Amino acid sequence: MQFDRRGFLKITGLTLLGLSAKPGWEVFSKIDQPEPSPMAESLAKIRWAMAVDLKKCWSAKEGCRDCIDACHRIHNVPNLGTLKEEIKWTWTEPYEKVFPEHELEYSEENHRDKPVLLLCNQCDDPPCVKYCPTRATWRREDGIVMMDFHRCIGCRYCMAGCPYGSRSFNWRDPRPFIKKINPEYPTRTRGVVEKCNFCVERLAQGLIPACVEACKEKALIFGDLKKPDSEVRKALQNRVIYQRHPELGTKPKVYYIL
Amino acid sequence: MLDQRQKIIGEDTVLFEHIWKTGKGFYITVSILGALVLLGLYAYITQYRTGLGVTGLSRQIFWGVYITNFVFFIGISHAGTFISAVLRILKAEWRRPISRASELTTVFILMFGVGSVLIDLGRPDRMLYAIRYAHFRSPLLWDVCSIATYLTVSSISLYLALIPDIAMLRDLGGKREWFYRILSLGWRNTESQHRRLERAIGFVSVLVIPVMITVHTVVSFVFAMTIQPLWHSAIFGPYFVVGAIFSGVASVIVVMAVLRKAYHLESYIKPIHFNNIGIFLMAMTLLWFYFTFAEYITIVYGNDPVHMAIFWSKISGKFSPLFWLHFTLCFVIPLPILAIKKYRTIRGTVIASISIVLGMWLERFVIIVPTLTRQRMPIQGAYYIPTWVEWSILAGCISLFMLLYTLFTKVFPIVPIWEVREGREKAAATVAARITSYMPETGTDLNLPSPGGRG
Repeated sequence: MQFDRRGFLKITGLTLLGLSAKPGWEVFSKIDQPEPSPMAESLAKIRWAMAVDLKKCWSAKEGCRDCIDACHRIHNVPNLGTLKEEIKWTWTEPYEKVFPEHELEYSEENHRDKPVLLLCNQCDDPPCVKYCPTRATWRREDGIVMMDFHRCIGCRYCMAGCPYGSRSFNWRDPRPFIKKINPEYPTRTRGVVEKCNFCVERLAQGLIPACVEACKEKALIFGDLKKPDSEVRKALQNRVIYQRHPELGTKPKVYYIL
Repeated sequence: MLDQRQKIIGEDTVLFEHIWKTGKGFYITVSILGALVLLGLYAYITQYRTGLGVTGLSRQIFWGVYITNFVFFIGISHAGTFISAVLRILKAEWRRPISRASELTTVFILMFGVGSVLIDLGRPDRMLYAIRYAHFRSPLLWDVCSIATYLTVSSISLYLALIPDIAMLRDLGGKREWFYRILSLGWRNTESQHRRLERAIGFVSVLVIPVMITVHTVVSFVFAMTIQPLWHSAIFGPYFVVGAIFSGVASVIVVMAVLRKAYHLESYIKPIHFNNIGIFLMAMTLLWFYFTFAEYITIVYGNDPVHMAIFWSKISGKFSPLFWLHFTLCFVIPLPILAIKKYRTIRGTVIASISIVLGMWLERFVIIVPTLTRQRMPIQGAYYIPTWVEWSILAGCISLFMLLYTLFTKVFPIVPIWEVREGREKAAATVAARITSYMPETGTDLNLPSPGGRG
């Protein structure tokens, strides 16, 4: 068989195309969750959720931060001291900002300025997950939206995707700004995103989230929505409950009871 | 030997001169640009070592100048395709001297579009994770694919049209002959080679247009696919494409004016080029206004409080100076200059174009940043003032672009010599033949009914 240059190039090109067909197909046909978590089946039987009883919360002393401090202490959340580079997993905002759709002008009780605890909503359909280009954030079978600090490239697209502002970015090395490092939980490097994880590491040990444990008013109720007799199910029964921006279809799993 | 040289150069000495002659101006330009590039590099190293905290970005406004640059640079890159591919397909003869300058703008500025995203990463050391752990549900991956395709196709189109010129430089001999020999791919200027080249260029010119439209649509998807107020808009795809062509064509006018002056190309790049592109730019100005109007009127009429909060921050709130400045630069200043024939001179179109380029950078900024100040909740301390780091990196990117452009013209001719010659030798006849083919057939050779009717 004789080849001229054009013939050779054609054959080479076709060969390369043929060889790349299979790997190319594999890349594009990959199913979304290539590796389920260990114990995926048992996790899928759970759906963690939290209820915040606002009246109970407001009965605490002014400026109570027990839950926030507990969370930030055990998760090595740094205190950078500026709004600009602030990192927070849980925090509060005034009621009227969190629920602007509730018109409070004519209500007798004035709770416009009362604090409302905010944290990651652990959405059933979390927008942040689909934006991540590296799958550094994903939804576990029990509904917890997880974050892999070692895979995050710091593009902050998840922050743009989250309608709740639940995510923080490490604008510099956070370690010098941690008061006392908890060796049980990893610290982060500069340039990655972090957020509340519903204390997944404590749940694994059979403990409840740190904020829930820290609340003396028992205003935070945590549990499994799939268990009819769980505390959180009881708390949600026969009460008026709110979620943040349910109209966005994210199905938040943090409920507010008033 | 001298005869041979004379034959190759012909009457186009000035097109080769910028490769051979290195004046004082060149060294001054290169050193100024080089210094600015070093400044940008220093700024980036500072950012790399301490983290993105050295920028003005914050927890609330986490995207700023870098993402603006990303959209802006990729927008500019649309010019090359538009001017060279579209005009080539439309067989516009006047495109010949300017097609390479615009294609080169595309290829070089596109790299800075990609670079801007990488500069914005918190962990640039992990950037390849986006390929290794690629998650194709993320619009960022769509960007990776479409931009890579666009860069490939536009580089091929630039290179194809370079081959005959490289062969000329090879035949002229000299120190760099070996270099041109490799790149000329054995071009011998034969009939069949020409036919093949024309076919390849024609194919790539058609291919690059849908790719170009895809690229900027997908860039807009980065914003439009989120549910953030004023980003989540179906008009963003075409709106960004229009803005891209608008800013890109304007920057080609600026590039043309600079090249004309610096390399004495007055007899190649003529006022008619500025006039023709100026008219097109005027149409783009109106089109841009149309899209901007359609985008904002929809929001205002809908009156959704979440959207209106951001709308008012642009119209009369803290972003209003930037918003109205961008509107002035993109519309109020360029439109009369481009619309009135008396002002559509070289100077006029260049002033209008500079105004548009600056205005379009601000447009990207005004689209990206205000949304982040209050996504669905008024946020305390949401302000953004870029620091010296962002400005230095922006200056460094633009300088490096100009530096690469300058260096390119030290190696290759910036006006496609063979295309200009082809135009000079053959175009008149082809155009005449084409016009004949457009014209209605005359009555003699057809059996038309006689005009008299009853006659």
